[in-house]
Amino acid sequence: MGNTPSSHKISAQDRAILDMKNQRDKLHQYQQRITIVTDRETEIARECLARGDKSKALLALRRKKFQQSLLAKTDAQLQTLEELTSSVEFAQVQKDVMFGLQQGTKVLKQINAEMGGIENVEKLMGENEEARAYQREISEMLGGQMSNQDEDEVEDELEALEGEILGSKAEEAVEFPDAPQKEPVFAGELKAVGQQKARARARAAERAAAQAAEPMFA
Amino acid sequence: MPPTTDFTFPTYHQSYPPFYTLQPNHQTLTSQLRKWSRLIQRYARHHSLFKLSLPATIDSPLFKNVSLKKRLSLQDATKVLDWMCTDEGGRRAEKIVEGGGGGGGGGGAGVYWIWWKRPEEWGEEIVGWVERTGQKGVVLTLYELTAGEGSRGEEFWGMDGEVLRRALAGLVRKGRAQVFGGEGEEGVKFF
Repeated sequence: MGNTPSSHKISAQDRAILDMKNQRDKLHQYQQRITIVTDRETEIARECLARGDKSKALLALRRKKFQQSLLAKTDAQLQTLEELTSSVEFAQVQKDVMFGLQQGTKVLKQINAEMGGIENVEKLMGENEEARAYQREISEMLGGQMSNQDEDEVEDELEALEGEILGSKAEEAVEFPDAPQKEPVFAGELKAVGQQKARARARAAERAAAQAAEPMFA
Repeated sequence: MPPTTDFTFPTYHQSYPPFYTLQPNHQTLTSQLRKWSRLIQRYARHHSLFKLSLPATIDSPLFKNVSLKKRLSLQDATKVLDWMCTDEGGRRAEKIVEGGGGGGGGGGAGVYWIWWKRPEEWGEEIVGWVERTGQKGVVLTLYELTAGEGSRGEEFWGMDGEVLRRALAGLVRKGRAQVFGGEGEEGVKFF
């Protein structure tokens, strides 16, 4: 495991980072050890006091104080180490970003080169304009070849077609309304007439129903 | 390792005396072995045990039931663990032979790996954590994987170093990680 031949995926930076992280781990372990030691010293001091051995208790507490000062120092060291590691890792990320930018720029340049630069684009646009002008010329020339007579015939045909589509109605210019066949009804009577008609309809329906029902009793 | 909460034993472990004697009938025996295997795995997982040493644990609550006054004999416990090592037993245990390596080994007492998760399953677990926490391509020390603050609370936290090495070796073979650095201060990088 440890002696696995390192692959190309592991860079020198990776090894440096590992060294720093190992150092951090060691400091971490050291802190754990000191924490246990200080706890133990407190215990010792308490035991000594219980026995009445005040000077030994004092000694234990002094040792504890000293260890605690070491702990504070290692805390500062740990922080420095962690900051450095973070900086290195961030620099690596930056490097990757730079690499990405570089690649992107390269590709963009390559594509631009394939397009042959601005002169080439201008030339192409010029050629394009020329070709279109040429096409226009050809169209004009073809259009110009038709005689006036041909042109008239074409227009006549168009008119005939239009006539067919719109129908003969177009020729009957005026259409008169039909003469009224019922007597005029005034607005006031209109309601009454409506009611009368409705009653007449109802009666007719009743009669029809009665007629339909009769054969049942027959 | 001190238990965090009480382990709940299954009912047959608590109140079924025949459970403590391996049965002669083949079918019954298979079922019994399977139950013991499951129990041992569950017990090991609960207590985060990776190794089981037989003469040492034979008197633990796992094999001994004080209220029933029953205990699995050392011989039968060995049988159970040896069965767990077989393909039929799902290779959920592995005898630790002196001087590293695994497998094989005749009867008698011994130390076993209990694979409530096999090394390859542990590998997946770790890779899952690395991906979840966005640490792909980051150099990690083996120490911080199993004892660091970042992975505290993960199931592989506090894992046996040897199991970790084997789990990582599997990932290295698949090209998903690279282990490097000197003895005792190895680091790993996941891809």
